[in-house]
Amino acid sequence: MSGMSQSGMRQKAVLFLLQAGPRFLPFADAATPDLPLGRLLRLSLFQVSVGMALVLLVGTLNRVMIVELGVSAALVGVMISLPLIFAPFRALIGFRSDTHNSALGWRRVPFIWRGTMIQFGGLALMPFSLLVLAGGGESADAPAWIGQLGAGFAFLLVGAGLHMTQTVGLALATDLAPVESQPKVVGLMYVMLLVGMVVSALLFGWLLADFSPLRLVQVIQGAAMATIALNVVALWKQEPRKPRYGAAVAAAPAKQPSFVEAWAHFAAGDRAIRRLIATGFGTMAFSMSDVLLEPYGGQILHMPVGTTTALTATLAIGGLFGFGLASRVLGRGADPFRMASYGALVGIPAYLALIASAPFDAPVLFGLGTAAVGFGAGLFGHGTLTATMNLAPKSQTGLALGAWGAVQASAAGLAVALGGIVYEAVAWFAAARGLDPATGYNAVYAIEIALLFAALLAMLPLLRRAPALAGAPPPTGAAVS
Amino acid sequence: MSDDPTKVWPTGLTLPEAEEIHRHIIDGTRIFALVSLAAHLMAYMFTPWLK
Repeated sequence: MSGMSQSGMRQKAVLFLLQAGPRFLPFADAATPDLPLGRLLRLSLFQVSVGMALVLLVGTLNRVMIVELGVSAALVGVMISLPLIFAPFRALIGFRSDTHNSALGWRRVPFIWRGTMIQFGGLALMPFSLLVLAGGGESADAPAWIGQLGAGFAFLLVGAGLHMTQTVGLALATDLAPVESQPKVVGLMYVMLLVGMVVSALLFGWLLADFSPLRLVQVIQGAAMATIALNVVALWKQEPRKPRYGAAVAAAPAKQPSFVEAWAHFAAGDRAIRRLIATGFGTMAFSMSDVLLEPYGGQILHMPVGTTTALTATLAIGGLFGFGLASRVLGRGADPFRMASYGALVGIPAYLALIASAPFDAPVLFGLGTAAVGFGAGLFGHGTLTATMNLAPKSQTGLALGAWGAVQASAAGLAVALGGIVYEAVAWFAAARGLDPATGYNAVYAIEIALLFAALLAMLPLLRRAPALAGAPPPTGAAVS
Repeated sequence: MSDDPTKVWPTGLTLPEAEEIHRHIIDGTRIFALVSLAAHLMAYMFTPWLK
């Protein structure tokens, strides 16, 4: 064959690839003005993988390590809290994705991909390190620190991966969704997180019912594969390529702000810090008693085990109603902070109902209160995330979403830990003084009510400026319907 | 488009784009190598090659 025809074939091949290639490449054609529901549903799959990892860490492995593997509860507590170390770094991850210099013109995809890989790596390593941590098989002869180091490393990887994926995934959703459909996007993201948690909790429970070390390896590594599959499907052709991100940075590298500068700019704008404080108080209020609801039902109201398990479902269903209502109302252009404050206002009587259910010995009141807590938490979470998306400066979407996520995840983790400590301390004190056994729980519920008042106070100034702040377009005829 | 000299054969990507993708592949390989090394060590300690 002559050189001429060879280069001609090359030309043809390049032409073919340029025409056919994009169909097989993960690039979006262009930024479409509106996001079709199918594509949005697909994007929200990353929340399913995050929910799955969360359930695995906090629920399934928590139990498996203590019950099946016989690891000490204190060590399990340390391992499970390790991923929380990464929560504050979400702001930094978001910032890095905002300013990512990419020849491909991607800002979010590289981070979601890296997060996915890290989460996969952590899950792939997890089962073996847990088995060694428990001293199973022939690992009993090995020094204990190897298992502890391995398990710690695995938990850190999963935590880092899920925080990275979720932060940058939410930033990508914000980039893609026009302001008026952001409430819908937030609702969907929350629902998919919940769906991921519920479905995988049931699935893990069913798969691990007949526990064996081999089964543990299969289930956790299966979860690792599912993470990759879900996130690749979620990511495929979502982010449009905008070479200008890379080009602009290459042209003016000195203009790249540092994280501190970007943070200062973000914090100076539109009461950002106050919004984060309100988010922190509210999230703490709604998560402090998360793990105390079931024991309260069992110990104080003498509900059977099946019924207390239903409490968690009641909480989730209340949350779903909250997300649904908030999506509807905010989709019509209502102020998201007003919605968040309604959530806090629902939470206060809800926690009072929990406290009152013991003296009246009314499990029904407790159930209703639990549903109302879920509902209030749904309204609050939806309101604050929608506000964050609406108000995120165009060039700092990742930082804004990262800051929200950092506050939200840290506050939730801290609250669960504090709730446990406060309960233990007060219950011990109450037992010593011969007080009502419900005192320990009531102390936590009372702190939650106080935190809700604090969140409301923090949000008040945000409400007064609501019309100017909302950022949502004024309701049009079509939107009001 | 096909005669854009910055596009390299056979992918139709430009050189910086191709290098960026390659960097991700290298990073990925490193992470996986590290993780699989640790996982193999743990698996061996638990049960030395399923003896």
